[in-house]
Amino acid sequence: MNQQIQKLRDQFSENDDFFMLQDSFLGTPVVLLGLKSLIDVVPMKLSLQTYHAAAIESHITLDAFKKVLGEADEAVGAHEIYGSILNGKLFIYFEADDSFVIMDPIPRALNRSIETPINENVMQGSQSAFTEDIATNVGLVRKQLQSDHLRVHTHTIGTEEAKDVALVYYEGRADMDFIRRIERQFAQNKNKTIENLQQFSKEILGFPTWSMVSKFNQTELPQEAAHSLRKGRVLLFVDRLPLALVTPGMLWDAFCLDSDRNFPLPLMLFLRTVRVLGALATLILPGLYVALVSVNPEVLRIEMALSIAQTRAGVPYPAIIEIIFMFVVIELTIEASFRLPKTIGPTITMVGGIILGQAAVQAKLVSNLLIIILAATTIANSTIIGLQQSLALRISKYVVVVLASMFGVLGILEGMLLICGYLGSLTAYGIPFVGFPNAKSEANRG
Amino acid sequence: MDKSWQVALMYFIVHLGLIFFMYPGDIIASTQDGHWIPIVLGFALHLAALSLYLKGLFNWGNNDIIALYMKAGKGYAVLFLLPLAVYFFMACITVVRCSAEIMTIVMLSSTPLWAVMLTFLLIPTYFALKGITSIFRTGVLIGMMNVPIILFFFSFSFQNIDWRYVFPMIGKASFLTEPSYLESFFVFAGGFLFLGFIQPHVAFRKRYVILAAIALLPFFIFSVYIPLLTFGQSTASTFNFPFIVSLDTISITWLMFERITVFLLLSLISFLMLFLSLSLWSTMRIVHAGIPALKPRYLLVSIPVLVYVVCLAIPSWTDIVKLFWWNTYLRFYIMAAIPLSTYFLASRSKKRMVRS
Amino acid sequence: MKHTWMRAVGIAIAVGIAALLGGCWDNRDIDHRSLPVVMGVSLSKDKYEVVLQIPETSSKGVNLRILKQKGRTINQAVDKISERMESSVDLLHLKVILVEKGYAQQGLTDSIASFMRSRDISPKTIVAICDEKLDPFFDYVKKSMTPRGTTLYDCFEKNAGWNPQMSLTRIWEVYRSIHSYTRDVAIPIIKSGRNGTIDYLGSAIIKNGRMVDQITPEETLLFNSFNGHSAQGKIEVMDKASVMILRSSMRHRSKIVQGTPYLYVQITVKVSIVETKGSVTSQSINQELEKILMKRFSGMLRKSQTREADILGLGQYFRNKIPRTQLRVWRESYLPKLRMDFRIKSIIQNDGYTKLS
Repeated sequence: MNQQIQKLRDQFSENDDFFMLQDSFLGTPVVLLGLKSLIDVVPMKLSLQTYHAAAIESHITLDAFKKVLGEADEAVGAHEIYGSILNGKLFIYFEADDSFVIMDPIPRALNRSIETPINENVMQGSQSAFTEDIATNVGLVRKQLQSDHLRVHTHTIGTEEAKDVALVYYEGRADMDFIRRIERQFAQNKNKTIENLQQFSKEILGFPTWSMVSKFNQTELPQEAAHSLRKGRVLLFVDRLPLALVTPGMLWDAFCLDSDRNFPLPLMLFLRTVRVLGALATLILPGLYVALVSVNPEVLRIEMALSIAQTRAGVPYPAIIEIIFMFVVIELTIEASFRLPKTIGPTITMVGGIILGQAAVQAKLVSNLLIIILAATTIANSTIIGLQQSLALRISKYVVVVLASMFGVLGILEGMLLICGYLGSLTAYGIPFVGFPNAKSEANRG
Repeated sequence: MDKSWQVALMYFIVHLGLIFFMYPGDIIASTQDGHWIPIVLGFALHLAALSLYLKGLFNWGNNDIIALYMKAGKGYAVLFLLPLAVYFFMACITVVRCSAEIMTIVMLSSTPLWAVMLTFLLIPTYFALKGITSIFRTGVLIGMMNVPIILFFFSFSFQNIDWRYVFPMIGKASFLTEPSYLESFFVFAGGFLFLGFIQPHVAFRKRYVILAAIALLPFFIFSVYIPLLTFGQSTASTFNFPFIVSLDTISITWLMFERITVFLLLSLISFLMLFLSLSLWSTMRIVHAGIPALKPRYLLVSIPVLVYVVCLAIPSWTDIVKLFWWNTYLRFYIMAAIPLSTYFLASRSKKRMVRS
Repeated sequence: MKHTWMRAVGIAIAVGIAALLGGCWDNRDIDHRSLPVVMGVSLSKDKYEVVLQIPETSSKGVNLRILKQKGRTINQAVDKISERMESSVDLLHLKVILVEKGYAQQGLTDSIASFMRSRDISPKTIVAICDEKLDPFFDYVKKSMTPRGTTLYDCFEKNAGWNPQMSLTRIWEVYRSIHSYTRDVAIPIIKSGRNGTIDYLGSAIIKNGRMVDQITPEETLLFNSFNGHSAQGKIEVMDKASVMILRSSMRHRSKIVQGTPYLYVQITVKVSIVETKGSVTSQSINQELEKILMKRFSGMLRKSQTREADILGLGQYFRNKIPRTQLRVWRESYLPKLRMDFRIKSIIQNDGYTKLS
């Protein structure tokens, strides 16, 4: 028994799914090593036998047979061998000449098939969604965008824990400086471990952590991903993450979907206007309620002022407390409905939304109008595209509400200004968040 | 990257922010009839100064005027940049104090003045801290939100006008020496100077800015004429802010809101904040050029603090008006000296470059 | 990591300060404010009496509350009312200011100027004159009107109870008339009626803030159409028929000859016939209508000329003919001399469903 094999066996001794099988190829004894959890053993052996039979029939030498099986690199170190076994490769050791081959065996089916998107709904567009497997995802993009300009760079990042990351871009449209910058970041931080996207964006790409808006726009849809490639943006795939990370993220991503373009132009414009209105309504409506009720009632018409005063009569605390209180309830409901199994989700929504709201009004804890505002805000919040963007929007409305409670209508404006200023200040490697993707790619091309 | 239309939009909205507050009152006070003459005269001077300034800047090339004066010599820098910094500083004070005062008059009666002024400084400081390119992008976002609001309410402000108040059309030239007419140049002098500072960071073309300036003419004219046509000269001259009062007379029955002045005012305030952030940033650039040891970040925090302290020290509206008047000499100096000196220094350096 | 904590602490402090600041000045919620809709003002023995009609909201509906106080200034009286109420009085939503006739005759200039000055009262507030003591009027309003909160104001609202015989004058217009050389205003006069209605008596001619004369509702209709307010939908009663004015348009020419202003005005009225009595022809209706309108108009003009109050804004037509220094004395030296050539042309646009015999 060779020393290397011994070492491997020691390393995997605590793993019960490790296997070590004796066999013989063309008369030489071999040892097969691998992980049962990643390799489907029986078909693997069957296929090896097929190879073997073919080799005997065609009378090839052992060295040639090794080449058939896989890469026979003598220089590979122990660490790489260890890594490749963890990666699901089969390690074949030839005892006679102390050489080895690393072979791609038949893997266990650990990936789900391509399905319809779960978190994003598509209206009249391609229905397939990205899966966990990085190669499948790149393949989906290739299917969607059949062009010889498409470039894919794969990196393995992390020494202690490896993760594949693929960088996909459209050559000739993407900003090459931007891509070089990302590549440099990858090269610099090759050894860092990434467990999640927060780490990925901070440790690997060096983006600030305290950013409300993610530098990546995430999408499950190959169609959207391909569209952003055409617009000169870069896709990042992280293995085991069923998402494409579109970078740099842009403000307009929250309002424009590529599948909108499958509608006639006026309908598309309508849809996009609705989304913008939704975002504005989410930010302004709650603040407007607070401002009009507690600071600037003169802005309301008298009829409305009276009816609001009437619905608020008996509510024991100021409007800001009232609205924050109800918003907390809503946030809890939304969060709970994420957590719950799909079967009881609707029940909770019903209890939370209808019964609680109605009861709160009847108990004179909040005013009727507030419930309407609340419902409108929550609905409007969901019109914009992307879960992350909608979450960022959900949080930023509190800035407006708090300022509105202090400065009234002026506070709303101040909140909006702060948000505009914040969005305006965001950049990713010099590419502004508030920019037009079209204009940039054209500037780049010409 | 070419950002001409961002610069043009910024130029446009910054001036919109400045026009509607003091300008109508000053012009109406300056003469009894034929108000279009002082407006057009002021506008022509503004356009002349602007085009001279731009010509100088483009002769100078892709750099800001600080570098221009520094290259010309320390003496020039002190002669022109120091007054400019002082002027920006004063402009910040007057704008913050004025707009805060207007806010408390129009809509925030119970909010203390210091709090309003504090937010009026905090937000521009935040913008300025994020850098000049970020100010411009913010400007685009704000413009997209607020310019439609302004245009909407501006078009409604014609509701109560009586065209016959236009007459008499011809007035005397006596307005030239009126203090209030000289004060009205605040609008013209304040807004265009920032163009000289943005150049290496934000590139732009001359034509766009000139077009934006010309697009402002109707706003200059109607900001004065709407109160005049609604109230008549003798009534309009009794108001501190004639345009705002005339806006208060408008009723839009189908709108769910009553005092629409508030909305127009808010949009204007947002533009003023952009103006403030530009002024703060430019002041920072000048001071930084003078004392390079001070870090820009600290300067950007300390200048607003100084402005705030001065604003707190101004007790009343009459004092603001006084300050405004003291500012006049400086304003004319700035308005004449900066474009002229930029033009001559830039063409001199260009000639030298050609010769060598 | 440390950086992250600093950031978090910083944000927490900012939120805390914001929350503290929020309580720093008192912003009263809308249900803790009393929003008077109508304010009555009268002046007797140098003391203002102020009556406020405040809709009181409760969860059941709206009650009207009438509160009175006297004070040296209007504001003092309002403050006194505010002190006595459980919620504070905000004049932000004031819609109608009702002035007692006696006070209007003494002159409103000071009050109007201070209304314009104050940020609370909107310049759009309607001014009306009450032709009786305020106390009984407001008692009547409280007794008879359905508690809707804005009832009295609805009488004046253009898309509610307003009719074209009523002049509609807002504070800013009165203020303008005080300062303007060439324009005066008419303010509606109201009085409590019998069966839960408010009677409209016509309009007061206000010159420089003082009531100098009165015109009838019919004259006010003409006044409105002359000033370009819609006189639409009004039924004009004549001996033989009543018609509805659909549209009116005006043409004018002005000139000054040797210091005497001449004005030629032609008003074209388009009407539709609503009711007839006996046998009439469209011609006779036209003649009748023209005659009646002519008579009313010249009556109004005469009033305006003798009182030297230019409610029709006739001076406006001469602004480009008279130099500014002379405009100042328009009311006194030009208006009484004004020669007016007034023509009315009526067109029967249609006669309804049935043919006119």
